[in-house]
Amino acid sequence: MKEKTDPTGVRENDLKIGVYVCHCGKNIGGTVRCEEVAQYAATLPGVALSKDSLYTCSEPGQEQIKSDIREHGLNRVVVASCTPRLHEPTFRSACESAGLNPYLLEMANIREHCSWVHLHDKDAATEKAKDLVRMAVSRAAELAPQFELTVPVKRQAVVVGGGIAGIQAALDMADAGYKVYLIERSASIGGRMAQIDKTFPTMDCSICILAPKMSEVGRHPNIELLTLSEIQEVSGHIGSFRLKVLKKARYVTKECTACGDCVRECPQLVPDEFNAGLSIRHAIHIPFAQAVPSTFLIDMDRCLNNQGIVACDRCFQACSHKCIDFADRDQEIEIEAGTIVVATGVDVYDPTALTELGYGRFPNVITTLEFERLINAGGPSSGELIRPSDRVRPRKVAFLQCIGSRSKRSSRYCSNVCCMNTIKDSLLIKEHWPDTEIYVFYIDIRAFGKGFEDLFQRARREGVTFIRGIPGEILEDIRTGDLTLLGENTLLGKHYRLDVDMVILSVGIKPRANAGALQRMLNLPVDTDGFFLEAHPKLRPVDTTTGGVFLAGAAEGPKDIKDSVTQASAAASRANILMSRGEVKVPAITARIDPDKCTACGLCARVCPYHAIEGSKERGYYRVVEAACQGCGTCVPECNFGAIEQTHFTEAQIVGQIDEALQNDPHEKILCFACNWCSYAGADFAGVSRIQYPHNVRIIRTMCSGRVSPKWIERALVKGAGGVLVSGCHPSDCHYNNANQNTVRRVERFWKRMEKLGINKDRLRLAWVSAAEGAQFARVIQEMSEGLKTLTTQQIREDSDMLSKRLAKKSETS
Amino acid sequence: MTTIKLWKFFEREKLFECYQCARCTGSCPAMDVAPAFGPRETILRCLNLGHDKVVEDPRLWLCCTCHVCEDRCPQQIPIGDLLVALRNSAARRGNIPDRLRIAVELLAKTGRSMIVHQLDEMRSHHGLDPLPPVPVDEIREILKKSGLNSLIEV
Repeated sequence: MKEKTDPTGVRENDLKIGVYVCHCGKNIGGTVRCEEVAQYAATLPGVALSKDSLYTCSEPGQEQIKSDIREHGLNRVVVASCTPRLHEPTFRSACESAGLNPYLLEMANIREHCSWVHLHDKDAATEKAKDLVRMAVSRAAELAPQFELTVPVKRQAVVVGGGIAGIQAALDMADAGYKVYLIERSASIGGRMAQIDKTFPTMDCSICILAPKMSEVGRHPNIELLTLSEIQEVSGHIGSFRLKVLKKARYVTKECTACGDCVRECPQLVPDEFNAGLSIRHAIHIPFAQAVPSTFLIDMDRCLNNQGIVACDRCFQACSHKCIDFADRDQEIEIEAGTIVVATGVDVYDPTALTELGYGRFPNVITTLEFERLINAGGPSSGELIRPSDRVRPRKVAFLQCIGSRSKRSSRYCSNVCCMNTIKDSLLIKEHWPDTEIYVFYIDIRAFGKGFEDLFQRARREGVTFIRGIPGEILEDIRTGDLTLLGENTLLGKHYRLDVDMVILSVGIKPRANAGALQRMLNLPVDTDGFFLEAHPKLRPVDTTTGGVFLAGAAEGPKDIKDSVTQASAAASRANILMSRGEVKVPAITARIDPDKCTACGLCARVCPYHAIEGSKERGYYRVVEAACQGCGTCVPECNFGAIEQTHFTEAQIVGQIDEALQNDPHEKILCFACNWCSYAGADFAGVSRIQYPHNVRIIRTMCSGRVSPKWIERALVKGAGGVLVSGCHPSDCHYNNANQNTVRRVERFWKRMEKLGINKDRLRLAWVSAAEGAQFARVIQEMSEGLKTLTTQQIREDSDMLSKRLAKKSETS
Repeated sequence: MTTIKLWKFFEREKLFECYQCARCTGSCPAMDVAPAFGPRETILRCLNLGHDKVVEDPRLWLCCTCHVCEDRCPQQIPIGDLLVALRNSAARRGNIPDRLRIAVELLAKTGRSMIVHQLDEMRSHHGLDPLPPVPVDEIREILKKSGLNSLIEV
């Protein structure tokens, strides 16, 4: 055998790999026979020592690795334990502190991908664990030390959304001394909290505690407030994002003193969105009294001058400061930022679709948001609770819970705030008009927070009646506008028929309808409910998978004001860490072009999602700009000359893994290429959820499915793999700017080839699995395993022979 | 055998989706007038007592299969399918109310589930043609093929 040297200068027969098989208590040890796996690992080529331990991630576990590196001169470390998405940083830093380059560590995922998903088959799980360790050892042998690039972090931040979460995040970062751009789509900051009358459980006046914070934002020297603004484009990466922001025309200059002289003159009337459409405003208006900036604006859609001709100048004439500027135009602003906090908030569920409740048809059926405006002193009725049909105070009021929540007809999740909001609202009514009869129809009252149960008990004692069972139907008396609720009291098992004056639907909250645009610009994944997905549900709850982008408030999931503020401060603090350090290390997984092999054809530059490859045919070369390269590896399979290599995910490393995975009984195996962000995480999630699936799958991780080379698929089929699964993020959810569209193109081309050669196309499958779709991953594996049973070993062998003959011929001719 | 048949018409897993909000019973026209136990309780009984107990209960037949409960179910449980499946199972065990038995017997004899000769008089009084004849043989064939024939012993 030819003696091979690698860039470390370590010759292959000098390899000293240390293997550590973790029991993880009973998590792995309860299913996989870890001692047996460790003994097996000791027999593998290059392995100098092999041990099993109860908790490798514990302090003694890490000390063991460190001392072995020093004592035995280990030059590679393999840890077989949980997913690398959890503890890779832990073991990397252990290696580093013992003087070993952190990129010489490799992990075998024998928990999420093995013990947890094959709980009832100890033999199969142990065999699979051996395979996974063998794959990891072979990859470890090919690893090379890498050195991370340090990129500067610009000490400026962008906050998207000016609700309470955005306000808190902006203030925290500005107070720490960093320049903050707060981008708000509407004309004033304040968000949902400004619309609410009181907050639970303390019954504070919402706008009274919010307004001081809003004006603080308005006058803070470090905050630049951009209202009526929307992000158009985001480029760049952690540390240096570039944003294009469209700032819409306000038609009123900053000099406006909000005197209101103009409003009296304006002839145009429209429903007031801030009051949930319960009152009217003029085309020139200020959103609400406490608005920041305290400047009027003209709603150009409603103004008589919307055709570009000045047909009416009554506001202009009325303004003594001459602040009206009909010539104002939209502007495009460019902003640079090191970090971004996303606090875009939520929409409110529209119950019109639930026709049996009559919302929109019966005037006295209103939503909780409309109720908040009705009972607010600054609202359309100056705080008098009146019913819309006849403006008379209702004597009997019913609240209906879970409207638009916990339902397949709307949103499946619990909206988190509606129970407490209703209890608060019922107490507000009792406070002002104690003789009002109040009925709350509920399924479960969820009073889980601090002080919540006290408030619930107080409401019961104040005489609010809680009835378990949501009415099936609301009837209206057309003459009086009174309403009748039909339903069942499930605790008594009795039917009820209750007449009330007014019904308040406790509507749920849902993700912003137009969150998709921002989601694509920032490459943020969303969970199955449509909210932005955090990087880790427990340990990185405000981070996203996009470096330098953090989440705050209800955009991440339904939450109340306190939780929004807590999360906003956490997000600001995470962003502050980056900005105060001023630099950040980016993983050394970039692509590199070998100038000797490169023919300057430019194919790679065309598929790069980040325009990180520069050069031209004329100049005769192409090269990768390392700071801009995000490490998806999509360019690598595109090169016909093998001139590109992705560090830490090299051709040799992956091919080694393929060969080892298919060493025994390849025809029974499914080889899966899973992208790091979605599919590998999805498989992890299947493990965490203990979803059992067939044990014949072997997973190889790449950063993006765009890295999967058709050569690998071919290799797997030549080696006689029963099936090959290429799995990535859903289209448009790709973490590398739709790099996975190249995956589709390549797989489709391979299918055509298979068809031509007469190979069963079902053996290659392309599946989109998101990080939240553990069950989907398990289902795909289940289906592929079923499909495999229809194939004979003979067929698979014939296909592989034919493919290898063709390959041999091809290499001869070239 | 009945167990297998029952869950073939209604996926048993769907029972667990119910969180007893009672929108179904609130929408139920039968519950308003009859001492039935409603869709919500039917699901709860199936879950907690087992479907055997439900199948034995004569109140099962009070449902008028209007499917409104199903329309309004937030979890989209096919309650109509469940009730049909339960009734099929009940009928096989001999739990069929007399009035239904009479209706089926009438159907087999006259092709109609009601006695209609009084209706004909009313129709002629109003100047309407008598009701058209019913293909009784075809209906008998249907009864035979559906198996209702053997259950009711027509």
